[in-house]
Amino acid sequence: MMTLEDYLAQDARLYPDKAAAVCGTETCSYSMLYERVCERAKEYADSKGKVVLFRASQTIDFLVTYLAIHKAGAVAAPMEKGTPQELFDELGKKLSSYDVPEGIADVLYTTGTTGRSKGVMISHRTIIADAENLIAGQGFSHELVFIINGPLNHIGSLSKIFPMIVLGGTLYIIEGMKDINLFFHALDYPCEKMATFFVPANVRILTQFSADKLASYAEKIDFIECGGAPLAHADMIDLCRLLPKTRLYNTYASTETGIISTYNYNDGRCLVGCLGKPMPHSRIIITPEGHISCQGDTLMSGYIGEPELTATVLRNDTVSMADLGHIDEEGMLHIGGRQDDVINVGGYKVAPTEVEDAALLLPDVKDCICISAPHPITGNALKLLVVMADGKTLNKREVALHLKQQLEIYKVPMLYEQVTTIERTYNGKLNRKFYRQS
Amino acid sequence: MKEEIRTILEDLLPLVDFDSDFLFSELNSLDVTTILMSLSDKYGIKLEALDATPKNLKTLDSIVALVERKLQEKQS
Repeated sequence: MMTLEDYLAQDARLYPDKAAAVCGTETCSYSMLYERVCERAKEYADSKGKVVLFRASQTIDFLVTYLAIHKAGAVAAPMEKGTPQELFDELGKKLSSYDVPEGIADVLYTTGTTGRSKGVMISHRTIIADAENLIAGQGFSHELVFIINGPLNHIGSLSKIFPMIVLGGTLYIIEGMKDINLFFHALDYPCEKMATFFVPANVRILTQFSADKLASYAEKIDFIECGGAPLAHADMIDLCRLLPKTRLYNTYASTETGIISTYNYNDGRCLVGCLGKPMPHSRIIITPEGHISCQGDTLMSGYIGEPELTATVLRNDTVSMADLGHIDEEGMLHIGGRQDDVINVGGYKVAPTEVEDAALLLPDVKDCICISAPHPITGNALKLLVVMADGKTLNKREVALHLKQQLEIYKVPMLYEQVTTIERTYNGKLNRKFYRQS
Repeated sequence: MKEEIRTILEDLLPLVDFDSDFLFSELNSLDVTTILMSLSDKYGIKLEALDATPKNLKTLDSIVALVERKLQEKQS
């Protein structure tokens, strides 16, 4: 089996002068990228078989580091760049004590299906299966220029590197969507076809604040994939109207399952909640309880150092998800809600207990619950309801800054409210169902 | 107006230090969108994503100047 790094070597041979990656004013050809990867791999010579933890960045250097770690026979563990140093060091120590099974390429940290942070092991075989799924399912091509605008420690953006290197396409990396001018500048790149991946908040930003400008690129944008969290129907309709010829995909994917199925909702029907047919390397099964289970080569190899936890999710080569769904008469997957406490915020899954535990470390916080609340941009956001100690008033900024020191940034709630009591069940547990329904 | 804008934005974005001289570098795309949406609604002006440049969002003062400019455009 060829690995991503074998494909990179092949690209360097076949298309040495072609742009592999563009970022700001820097352009790196395939021959340059391969050379830099080989050179950097020497730095990881002593790490063969070990996990190398590093902070992700949206730069060409990220690609060099990520691919070099693989080339050296080590395992890449890219972390969110804002991960608190203490947490970073703790994980680094923990990971160095684990034996990594043969064939593992990456360890990606996620909250995922089980409600707490853990490292998902991704094999080299999985990376290639994800690449082949995306090529077959969405029409990635050698001529395509793909704009990466999201964090590269997250499967949503990271997975797009795979088909682009397999095919020898061009990656255009921007730091994010906060300066929308940079995104439009990327769209001005001289080429025929471009594509990108958005989380729902990106779509809302563009349709609300830059609709006309986006529409002016309608001929050039080959496709846009949306993932991470469900896209609001109004946003789907808006995008179809602005980009009538563009393929617009909603995808079912997670770190644990890999890239499973995809649906082009710009098909005249614009079906809400539809995530399409399974891609070539994937199969979907709906359990008698209505849960989505996935099979195929894109599945994770397990959670690092946590065989018991792995066994609760990965059994008989099948990953069981907390998502509810059904398959329609055309064989397309439709997703319902989740049947657990995990909150999905813009593609990041957050266990509310982790937020609550961190908030309760503040002496003036007497009780709290972290819930999902409506948000005009993201669709939903984390909200912390707080009972303060007698005579104390909630200071949002103080609580938010405290949480930022304890947790990754996406786990820090955007919304806060002081309340007098938190609803609990008859046996004293937090009554999450009450807050989901209210 | 500056204190009014500060109150609105601090309430919506508790993690952001609006006294920073390098405000834009502290913001993420969601923060930027929140600023655009809330100020558009509050002052009845049309802020677009293309207005969200590093220069216009460099400090709280530059945000205030942006709002004032848009209000003037609206009146003229």
